[in-house]
Amino acid sequence: MKGSVIKYERDNIDTDVILPGPYLKIHDYNELAKHAMEGLDINFHSKVKEGDFIVAGRNFGCGSSREHAPIALAYSGIKAVLALSFARIFYRNAVDGAFLLPIEIDENAYKEISEGDVLEIETSKNEIKNLTKDTIYKMKPFPELIGKIIAAGGLFNYKP
Amino acid sequence: MPKTLFEKIWESHLVAEEKDGRSLLYVDRHLVHEVTSPQAFDGLRINLRKVRRPDLTFATMDHNVPTSDRSLPIVDQISAKQIQVLERNCKEFGIMLFDIHSPNQGIVHVIGPELGITLPGNTIVCGDSHTSTHGAFGALAFGIGTSDVEHVLATQCIWMDMPKTFEIKVDGKRKNPHAITAKDIILSIIREIGTAGGVGTVMEYRGEAITDLTMEQRMTICNMSIEAGARAGLIAPDEKTFQYLKGRRYIPKNYDELVDFWRENLKTDVGAHFEKSFTLNVNSIAPQVSWGTNPAMTTDVTGTVPFPEEYAKGNPDEEKAAIKALQYMDLKPGTPMTDITLDRVFIGSCTNSRLEDLTEASRVIKGKKVSPKVRAMIVPGSQLVKRQAEEIGLDKIFKEANFEWRESGCSMCLGMNPDILARGERCASTSNRNFEGRQGAGGRTHLVSPIMAAAAAIEGHFVDVRELDVI
Repeated sequence: MKGSVIKYERDNIDTDVILPGPYLKIHDYNELAKHAMEGLDINFHSKVKEGDFIVAGRNFGCGSSREHAPIALAYSGIKAVLALSFARIFYRNAVDGAFLLPIEIDENAYKEISEGDVLEIETSKNEIKNLTKDTIYKMKPFPELIGKIIAAGGLFNYKP
Repeated sequence: MPKTLFEKIWESHLVAEEKDGRSLLYVDRHLVHEVTSPQAFDGLRINLRKVRRPDLTFATMDHNVPTSDRSLPIVDQISAKQIQVLERNCKEFGIMLFDIHSPNQGIVHVIGPELGITLPGNTIVCGDSHTSTHGAFGALAFGIGTSDVEHVLATQCIWMDMPKTFEIKVDGKRKNPHAITAKDIILSIIREIGTAGGVGTVMEYRGEAITDLTMEQRMTICNMSIEAGARAGLIAPDEKTFQYLKGRRYIPKNYDELVDFWRENLKTDVGAHFEKSFTLNVNSIAPQVSWGTNPAMTTDVTGTVPFPEEYAKGNPDEEKAAIKALQYMDLKPGTPMTDITLDRVFIGSCTNSRLEDLTEASRVIKGKKVSPKVRAMIVPGSQLVKRQAEEIGLDKIFKEANFEWRESGCSMCLGMNPDILARGERCASTSNRNFEGRQGAGGRTHLVSPIMAAAAAIEGHFVDVRELDVI
């Protein structure tokens, strides 16, 4: 999986900024996508491209249980969020519907990766290649259940 | 081996467990609302599935309902549609619905306990992060997303990795329980352990200062467990719990027998091991006011808006976050919290909209008027709370003081209905999240207790409620 980085150097990016409350009434996923990250970055919709990754700090996706948050990101084209850590409901929501990969990275990777860097993620090796900076980072392996839901392609395909 | 309360409930609900820890848990109660359920019901229809246990599933509409006159049609057509969709889904799948005109309608986490749907030792899920509220009854209660809502509708089970245990010991005795509330206790805890302090854990609140609390106050504590990132909050049930639920509408027929079982079993054994522990002493805590854009950015009402470097204690990321938060909040470091003036006051939400919250607020409102610069509203958590408040005349006290007295719902907590802040407006709010834009794009939220919010409405700025005569 290859894509370029949109970076937010910020902890606690909550689901209210990822998808503000008023849009929770929208059922069309492509419509939701138009409002992704609107609470934090009004230009997100115009700059995001299919296959991009978000890089962010600690506790990404904290707050509400709205699955609309990973859905809005996924339908904007985001394939993975790389963060220092994730809030648990967002983490689970991201993989349940196979919307995007929530990947935990370390401080070094977080500091080194810049906006616009092209990354290649190989989850089978728990590796992230920074093609722009010619470096390789380790990603934290997925917990058992999350890894198996991802491998199955979502919660409803998952068989223990 | 001695066990924690969490471990006992977890083990008694295990349907299957893999060697690597993956667990399939049975769900005793599933609460449903209009915002996180439509796609779940669509999924059932597409796959020709039924709801496995409609008798254990209860629905209401709370997030987007207007809090104005309910005899009038809903103006917002998209909200109206979402409400109709829930009505249609509940009818089609045979689920009990407390609709907008039901005498039992209300915020899902207010009506669960007051209808006796929430029971000790239960597992409870809902497509809402504040499901942790029900932990106040010794129930293991998780917020889940829409895919899991669909999974529970279809199977009455949920897949989870086992969370870790986190003891939150709350010692001491509050000098003035009217001024130092459950809200101040939980904000003090989050302020210390941080917004991610509880991630991956179930926090069990224990100690003298917790057993001292009423059931409604315990709900306020457990409600905000998610603001520390916890999967759930938990308080062992006791006589107060059993008394609160007795006679409520949906409790089982063999309630008294169940109480005997709960009394014996639903507690953490002496010597049980918690993976993490934190202690707060309430003897010296002050009323809390948030100054930033997450619930950990909170200080004493007697304090000042912090300097970012002082708040960050050497952590550059925290310092940056504080600078951004102060910009958003339009606050200058060093400003006394009591100098902060307000445009709006909101008393409501699943954190603080129950009868005791409103009664406490009325102590400082009675005979006074809302500051002319402030627009203030009170949104009871449920129709039952509203009726009970009106029976004891609270509505008159509020209306005479120029508070708006509204219909029940989530309202201005999350800005999904017409109750929102305008850009730049500053609000004292009894809700749970002060995130950017949460109460309306560009709105600024200060989290406080109901009595602090009420006093702020009267004075037009924050005041230390300990100094008021009526307290």
